[in-house]
Amino acid sequence: MATVTIKNVWKYYGETPAVKDLNITCPDGSFVSILGPSGCGKSSTMRMLAGLEHISAGDILFDDQRVNDLAPKDRDVAMVFENYALYPHKTVYENIANPLRLRKASEDTIKARVTGAAKLLEISHLLERRPHELSGGQKQRVAIGRAIVREPKLFLFDEPIAHLDAKLRAHMRGEIKHLQRSLGTTMIYVTHDQLEALSMADYIAVMHDGELQQWGTPAEIFNHPVNAWVAGFVGEPAMNFLTCDIKGQGDDVLLRHSNFEIPLLPGQVRQLNGAAQAGTARMGVRPDALSISMTRPDEAAMQGEIFVNELLGGDMLVEVQLDDCRIRVKTTPEFEGKPGENCFLSVNRDKWHVFDAGDGHAYF
Amino acid sequence: MASRDVVSYDTPLSRALKVLAGLFLALYLVWTLLPFFVMFVSSFKDLLEAFKLPAVGDWAGITVFFEFTPTFKHYTSLFTENSFGTYILNSLIAAGGSAVISVIFGSLAAYSLSRVDFRGKQDLFFWIISTRMAPVVAVMVPLYAIFRSLDLVGTLPGLILAYTTFNLPFAIWILKGFFDNVPFAIEEAQMVDGSTRFQAFRSILPLVAPGIGAFVVLCILFAWNDFLFAAIIGSGGAKTLPVATRELVQPQNIQWGSIMAAGVVTTAPMMLLGLVIRKYLVTGLTMGAVKE
Repeated sequence: MATVTIKNVWKYYGETPAVKDLNITCPDGSFVSILGPSGCGKSSTMRMLAGLEHISAGDILFDDQRVNDLAPKDRDVAMVFENYALYPHKTVYENIANPLRLRKASEDTIKARVTGAAKLLEISHLLERRPHELSGGQKQRVAIGRAIVREPKLFLFDEPIAHLDAKLRAHMRGEIKHLQRSLGTTMIYVTHDQLEALSMADYIAVMHDGELQQWGTPAEIFNHPVNAWVAGFVGEPAMNFLTCDIKGQGDDVLLRHSNFEIPLLPGQVRQLNGAAQAGTARMGVRPDALSISMTRPDEAAMQGEIFVNELLGGDMLVEVQLDDCRIRVKTTPEFEGKPGENCFLSVNRDKWHVFDAGDGHAYF
Repeated sequence: MASRDVVSYDTPLSRALKVLAGLFLALYLVWTLLPFFVMFVSSFKDLLEAFKLPAVGDWAGITVFFEFTPTFKHYTSLFTENSFGTYILNSLIAAGGSAVISVIFGSLAAYSLSRVDFRGKQDLFFWIISTRMAPVVAVMVPLYAIFRSLDLVGTLPGLILAYTTFNLPFAIWILKGFFDNVPFAIEEAQMVDGSTRFQAFRSILPLVAPGIGAFVVLCILFAWNDFLFAAIIGSGGAKTLPVATRELVQPQNIQWGSIMAAGVVTTAPMMLLGLVIRKYLVTGLTMGAVKE
C-alpha cells in the first residue's frame, strides 16, 4: 500500500518528449487508470513507475520515498504486462511462485500463497500446465496471480485485458475491480479503452501527446471534460462537435449554426463569462443528449436528413446529415425514420458543452 | 487453430513429380550412405578381403563384398600401436573447450547486441561477422606467427583459442537472432518480480536453448572435423583425430584397414551427438509465452 506521487516527470526518447511535465498523485489504496490513445505516453509512465525506464526529469515517490534510482526489484511493485510475459518453460505453479522464489521465501509460504492466489483466480486446476496449454484468459489470470502472490506496495497493470475477446473482457473488468477492492492495494491501470477506465477506476488520468489532459473521477471526466479532446476521446459513441457562432441577442446569448439558433441557459451565459462573446466556438453534444423526431417539436429544433440507421441491440444510432456535417443521435429501436427522410433534433441543453474554437478548452 | 498444411490437389504432373522426387531421394540416400557403409564394413575386413570387388556390371558378384571374417584388429591397433585414445581426448577437449568458451562469450555478446542500443552497434556487429569472411587459409600464416610467438603452437589451449577465434563470431551471429526473438517483457517481468539484470539474462537462457544447442553442434562439428588448424597449430602436442588419420598414410604403405577404422571412430561420435541434440534443434520453447 502506498501513495504514488508523480512530480514534474518528463521522459525523452532522444529528442522526442514522450511524457511532458506530468503531475499525478494516486491516493493510497485507490484504483487509478491512465487513459489515452497509443503514443500518448501512458506506457512510458507505467514503465517509469516500474523502473524499466529511466526518468528524464522529475521525481516519482512511493509514499515519501523517492524511487527514481531504485532498480525494479527494489521498488516492491508487481506488474501485469499486456502480453502476459509468462515464462514459457515453467509451469503455472512455478510462474506464480517465481517472485517468491526470487525473494527466497520458504517452500511452505510459497505453497500457501500460490494455492491461495490460484484459488482466488479460479486456476487451481491449471497449476501443472505450461503457458502454451492455456487460453488467453487463463494466461491473463496466471499473470495476475504472479502479481498478487507477493502482496506488493503497488500494482501496475499495462493493458492486461486488451487481447481478450469482448465477453471475457467485460467479465475480467469486474474481476479485476473486485480483486483490487478486496486487496486494497494501490493500482495503476493503463488502458486505451475508455470503457475500461470509466467502469473500473476511482480516478482517471487522461493523457494525450505526453501531457496530462484531465484528472478526475470517471463521472467528472465524462460529464465535465476540460477540453474538446477529452470530450471526444471519452464516451462511446463519441461526442458530436459543431462549429457555431456565439451571438448576443438582448439578454440572451445564442449559439448560431447555419441550421439553427439555440439560446444558452442563463448559468451557461455566466460560465461563458464574455470570453467568447461574438466569436466562434465548438458546440459538443453526446448522442444521448439529443432526441430525434420526425415532426418539428419546437422552433429551436435542428432540421436534417437521416443518413443511416444502426441498430445496436437495445439502442439505435441514427446518423443525421445537418447541412455540411453529420451528427449521431442515440434513440430507441422503435424509431421509424428511414434514410433519406427529413427529421428534427432537439438538444438537452443541460448536457451540452461549449469549447473554445482555438485551444479547445471547455467553457462548460 | 487452422491447419498449417499447404493444401495441394493431385494432378498428373504432381503425381509424376512425386515419383521423380521419390526416385531422387532414393538415389540421394544411396549416394550419401554408401561411403559410410563401405567404410564401416571395410573397417572389419582384412586388407585382402577389402579389395575383393566384383567386376563392373557383375551385379550377382556383389555378394563378394560381404564374404569376409569380421576382425577387430584394426580397431585394437589404433589404440595400441597408435595412441588414438589420446587423439580422441584431444579432439574432445579442443572441440568441447572451444564450444563452451564460445557459448559463454557468444551468448553474453549476443544478448548485449540484442538488448542494448549503443553508438556504432551496427558497425560492430558487421565487424564481428566480417571476421568470418576471410577463408581460414588466408589468415593461417599470420595466425601461426602470432601463436608461435605466444608459445601456443602444438598445445591444446592454442588449438582451443584458434577454434574459438572462428566460432565466436558465429556464436554471436546465431545467438543474437535467437535473443531477438525472445520478448523483452519476459526479462522485464523477471526484473519486476525481483531479479537483477544478470538473473534476468539467465532466466531467458532456457528460451534460447534451441539456439545454443544448434550452435554447440555446429561449433563442435567445425572443430572436430577441422584439419587445417589441427595440422598447423595443433601439430605435435595436440594431435586430433583427422591429423592422426592422415598420418596413417605413410610413404611405404597405406593402412587402409586402420584408416577405415579411424574414419568410423571419427564419425560415430558426431552422429550420436546429432541424434541426441536433435530435439533441441526443433523444439520452439517460446511457443505460447507471449500473445503475439
